[in-house]
Amino acid sequence: MSYIDLKSAPKREERLKACIAHGGSICDLGGKGKKSCLVDDGERGFTQGSICLLLPALAMLNTLPDNVVLMHSAIGCGTCTHSQNANVRFGGNVRWGAVKDGIWLSTALNETDVIGGGEEKLEQAIIEADERYKPFSISVVSGCVPGIIGDDIDNVVKQLQPRVKAKLLPVHCEGFKTKIWATAYDAVYHSIGRTLLESNGAQETVTGEGEPGLTPYQGLERLPRTVNLMNVSSMGRVDELELTRLLTSLGLEVNVFPVFAHPAGMVTATQAALSVSTCPTHDDYFLTYLEERFGVPYLLKHMPIGIENSGLWLRDVARHFGQEAQAEALIRHEEEQLQAALAEFRPLFAGKTVFVSAGEFRALATARLLEELGFRVTGIRSFHHDEFAQGEYDKLAASAQEDYPIDIANVQPFEEANLLKRIKPDLFLGHANGNATAAKLGIATHVIYNTGLAYIGYRGAYDLARRLARQLKNPSYNRRLAENLRLPYSDTWYEAPPFSYINSRGGATQ
Amino acid sequence: MSEHFIERSRYLCALGGAAATVTAIPGAIPILHSASGCAGNFAWTQNGGSGLQVGGYCGALTTPSSNIQEHEVVFGGDERLREQVASTLKVMDGELFVVLTGCVPEIIGDDIKSVVAGFSSQGAAIIGAETGGFRGNSYWGYDLVLQALFRDFVEKAPEKEQLKVNLWGIAPYADPFWRGNLEGVRHLLERLGLAVNSFFTTGDSLDGIRLAGSAALNIVVSELYGLGAATLAQERHGIPFLSHPLPIGPTASEAFLLAVAGKLGLSEERVNAVIAREKEEYFKLLEPLTDCWNDLDLQRYAVVVGDANYAGALTRFLADDLGWLPELTVCTDPLGEDERRRLTEGLANLASGYEANLRFETDASQVIHHLRQKWPAADGSTYHNAFSPAFVVGSSLERELAQSLGAGHLSVSFPVANRAIIDRGYTGFRGGLRLTEDLISAIIVGR
Repeated sequence: MSYIDLKSAPKREERLKACIAHGGSICDLGGKGKKSCLVDDGERGFTQGSICLLLPALAMLNTLPDNVVLMHSAIGCGTCTHSQNANVRFGGNVRWGAVKDGIWLSTALNETDVIGGGEEKLEQAIIEADERYKPFSISVVSGCVPGIIGDDIDNVVKQLQPRVKAKLLPVHCEGFKTKIWATAYDAVYHSIGRTLLESNGAQETVTGEGEPGLTPYQGLERLPRTVNLMNVSSMGRVDELELTRLLTSLGLEVNVFPVFAHPAGMVTATQAALSVSTCPTHDDYFLTYLEERFGVPYLLKHMPIGIENSGLWLRDVARHFGQEAQAEALIRHEEEQLQAALAEFRPLFAGKTVFVSAGEFRALATARLLEELGFRVTGIRSFHHDEFAQGEYDKLAASAQEDYPIDIANVQPFEEANLLKRIKPDLFLGHANGNATAAKLGIATHVIYNTGLAYIGYRGAYDLARRLARQLKNPSYNRRLAENLRLPYSDTWYEAPPFSYINSRGGATQ
Repeated sequence: MSEHFIERSRYLCALGGAAATVTAIPGAIPILHSASGCAGNFAWTQNGGSGLQVGGYCGALTTPSSNIQEHEVVFGGDERLREQVASTLKVMDGELFVVLTGCVPEIIGDDIKSVVAGFSSQGAAIIGAETGGFRGNSYWGYDLVLQALFRDFVEKAPEKEQLKVNLWGIAPYADPFWRGNLEGVRHLLERLGLAVNSFFTTGDSLDGIRLAGSAALNIVVSELYGLGAATLAQERHGIPFLSHPLPIGPTASEAFLLAVAGKLGLSEERVNAVIAREKEEYFKLLEPLTDCWNDLDLQRYAVVVGDANYAGALTRFLADDLGWLPELTVCTDPLGEDERRRLTEGLANLASGYEANLRFETDASQVIHHLRQKWPAADGSTYHNAFSPAFVVGSSLERELAQSLGAGHLSVSFPVANRAIIDRGYTGFRGGLRLTEDLISAIIVGR
């Protein structure tokens, strides 16, 4: 039995032994040392709020055209969509020339529902949403409350599916159940697989795990030159176009999946000749499934952020199709052009220090890119840690001039503030809603992820360099903040070791 | 309006409103006792809806949070909260800590009151509020924090100061213009010679809040938000309250000043002098717009979509001062019968005599159907009295409506995704001028 046959995807701390609480260094994690946190995750005795799997799950679901998102939870869950809606609007506009708001609903469970159960309300909500919006699909997303009061969204969906026109996609996002928010990708993919790519919950032509001869969905033909380019919303259109440009120059067809893909056309993913991940943190669950059930092989190793990494990513794809020589020529040409263009920025970047913070793979790949641009990496925070990133840590350990801290933390800006006061980097790259701490310390900052900006491939390397040059040229906004504001931490906290609270749960630092 | 779901809700849960409110209190630090994702969800919501305002001294992803997991769901979360509070007092630098509970610990029955009492009895400046998301929306969470302040933080003061008032009714971040709106009302009250504690402006302090018990009157510039706290303050601190609609522009501000003066027994001479001065300034400033106002034909039919504060307040200003025609007003809050009646009665007798048309609809995609009942779409006949020229004053989610009507549009009520707001506000006489500028600028943007 595969994971896909279960009602919901397993949490990643169990499936991958992923962890979120570790204070180490690049030498520790890069294979020069001996420590790893993969087996024994620590718990902090002091924590700050972060996100849960609901946010990345909604970031994917909200982009699906002709899909309505129906939250089954208390009224606050899912209001993050107010910012994600900007991506829906811009994303729709750059893809189809039409600006349209997403449609998201909530059953808004109240005190009565908490006591009496919310299944009936959910049933009625699904029926009404189906009639009012007439969507192709309705994603029924559960938050914490149904997970505790015992509402069975899968059963509600199963009972109701014959009575409504929309395809119903149950997605489990009970935030308290996993501390690894990357479980979100598995949760959404799980539902897409079970609902849109299977007949009655099982693909009939299964002949065995990973065996050759598996076929696409229900008699559809294999598309021998089509690759699935996986995007769970960590790339904007500009980045999709960069990778599409590179793949197209190898004569390949590109099927971007699953963001902004119409649910009715998602079966195309089962017809592809190859699936290519752009971030192993995102896609292993689904790519394994596509291979096991539909015989679509996959690549899941490199993230095409950075000059070397983009080449490695492209070479792997080319090797699959026997086009190595063509790829080498392409890469040589791209790198020559890019290096010449980057020359004007190198004097500004040379020797400047940088601290990077993001999802694990993105943080590490971006750190390598920054080294390629001439920066010296002096600290990294990865939002979690799992086995897929080992190769990236190894690369960074090999290129590090001296050891530097690695903070495995689901944000936790108090550790970051402590580290930044010690390290005093020239530049900080942080995720959405994650640059304010560094900014208030007067450090030049730049967002490491924004679907309106380019980060990926050769174009992304150049555009990022341009933007960093701009930030470094005048970081007055941050400097003026630092002169006039303070962070909300006590003076004694800055004197304590930055990882004091890791493994402290249960009283160690009382 | 659906009975079974809310479309694109324009508010957070009680915890979200409460966390934003604590962040807005000078020197205060919220401690969430909740699942890990709540704080992040609030940050992303504010990022998209509060006019680009996220957090503050301690908010968004900086907020201490117990991040409870399955372990606590099974075994209870009191211990984890105790540990989190103890470590927060060491790591964070705050003058007041406010523990706020989310859905999960409340359903599993954690006893936060005893945890908070334990720290408070040892001298920590800490209070708590039960703000589980299923208890209500942002506005109720805002009210619960104010209630907690009046219950556990504000000192009892038997002697009242006759010229001192407390002011609230505008929920931080839930009203993206909260700072400016509070300051605008504060300015009016100060012109009357009153000392004002308004909790959240740069002119406020925790000391001022602690001494709020000596105020002679609590002024709530809302017909709904914050009334729980007003009732509680009346019972516990003996302070009467005045609930009055959010005053935008000269007509509403004049009525507001008269109501406050009446309640406080201020001399008519004093209040009339203030009104006369404010009005004189307002109309002198408005005067030079008049030629272009006419030349460009800037009068508009209007649809107003907003929360319980803005729906009525914007409609009053458009009808009574700007001379527009607000043909449909939609309040997007989910409200009970009593609350609906109160808001409807409040719009029944506008100073201009204009007849308001107030509907209650949580699902803004349905606004067009309400409008079409009164203003049918063109039927192809040669002459059609159309709803045009039109303008939609609402949230950024009304852009599609405005587009379908060929109308101008301005985002005022949450969510405001397409404007950067720092301290702009629309209350008071001057606020009416700001709103006039913004409405007309939106019309002539291509000029």
